[in-house]
Amino acid sequence: MSNIAGKAYAMNVITPIRWYMVWINRLIFKIALSNPSTLKGLITLSLIHYARWVIIPRDSFPRLDPSQPKEELNYSYMLFFSNFNGSWDQYVDSFTFAIPSGLDLFWKWNVRYPKSVPLTPFHDYIRHNQIDTAHYYNAYPMAASNDVKSAKIVKKALIDFNATSADKAPEDFLNDYNKLLNNLQHHFGDMRPTPIVSLSADAVRKRHLQSQID
Amino acid sequence: MATKSGNATALTVLSPIKNGAVDETSYADITRERCLRLPIHENSPLSKVPNTYLARLFILDDVFYESLPANDAVFNFSDITSLFSDSARKKALPRKDHLKSKYLVLSSNFYGNLEDYLVGMWEKWSYVDHEGNQRDIRHIWEHCVAFDRVTDSASFISYIKRCQLDASLFFNGSTDDSLQEQLKSLYLKQEFTRFAVEHQGKSAAEIQQAFKAFIERAQPENLESPTWSPGKSTP
Repeated sequence: MSNIAGKAYAMNVITPIRWYMVWINRLIFKIALSNPSTLKGLITLSLIHYARWVIIPRDSFPRLDPSQPKEELNYSYMLFFSNFNGSWDQYVDSFTFAIPSGLDLFWKWNVRYPKSVPLTPFHDYIRHNQIDTAHYYNAYPMAASNDVKSAKIVKKALIDFNATSADKAPEDFLNDYNKLLNNLQHHFGDMRPTPIVSLSADAVRKRHLQSQID
Repeated sequence: MATKSGNATALTVLSPIKNGAVDETSYADITRERCLRLPIHENSPLSKVPNTYLARLFILDDVFYESLPANDAVFNFSDITSLFSDSARKKALPRKDHLKSKYLVLSSNFYGNLEDYLVGMWEKWSYVDHEGNQRDIRHIWEHCVAFDRVTDSASFISYIKRCQLDASLFFNGSTDDSLQEQLKSLYLKQEFTRFAVEHQGKSAAEIQQAFKAFIERAQPENLESPTWSPGKSTP
């Protein structure tokens, strides 16, 4: 089991939602999609790579063959998948502090959702409904979400600088170069394997090293 | 449905697993163990599936009974009705659900369109398992319902689409570039950071000359090479 791939953490949460309230949740998601400002809180939480909400109506679990028993459920289900950087606590707390009202709006119709404030019942709810990941892959395990964004800025600045300044006189080149470094200083960084953000991340690293030896 | 956010696509697949067993191990547990034993990072089969940003596999065994106390709008209202009717109180209590099948869940975030991605999955998924055997994608999906009818990429695409669920909301918190673009950018960030550190305090002519050599080596506009390989987990 590993919910961790390098610096990324995978969260999978499945929660029941009353079947007759699914349409409300769908409507809220649709409104959120057509009004990007409602997702500003998620953007501010720059530790997220991708997040998604999937609603499974109670009669819509995939059934591929008559030999497979048909599901008979009281509730529909909402699956939440997230990829973020940092530890579990940091992330769940970030939700609580950064976007409590938006979060409540998405989960409000789920059975016994305790609201994101106060913290402890919210932690308990997420932990109760979380499913562990069996295999988690990250194309850039040493990069946080912010590294990916910074890298885009560095690449563009580097290409622009090369086009405009590479062939200037040395002193002019140096002036432009220093301006470039000054502008990019917030985006520089040497990517390294993840620092220990949690004991579980360290355990994953050790297991990985061990598997390379075996 | 929001399976796309800009150029990124969200794929959510729930493949039902057969309810049988081999000896005394259920098909679900066999599948789970195979997923758990998949090599990680650059050795993961997903590192070979083109355009995969982040992806995961797990087994959905059952759904959870909401036994925790909580503020639930409907339940709170029932607290009032319970003054008058105990059956109303009981009716508002959460009910137990159980799934009749277990599901292999694949959740992937990738660049581009679904069909091309699935062809890549079928053709490129490859890894060496813990016993040294070369494996393809069939090893993971082997015990899923109806997967025995999957024989080529077209039937694989059809199969996955039958297992696919639409996302109600897909949030893209990353850049909206292709994976190749992102990996090249990360490579340049790494290399240019090192360049800047190594050339601190040197003369203008020295830095300029070194910069030109750096550009020739790093080739910022060439996404193919040199670049950061997918899943690379060491500097």
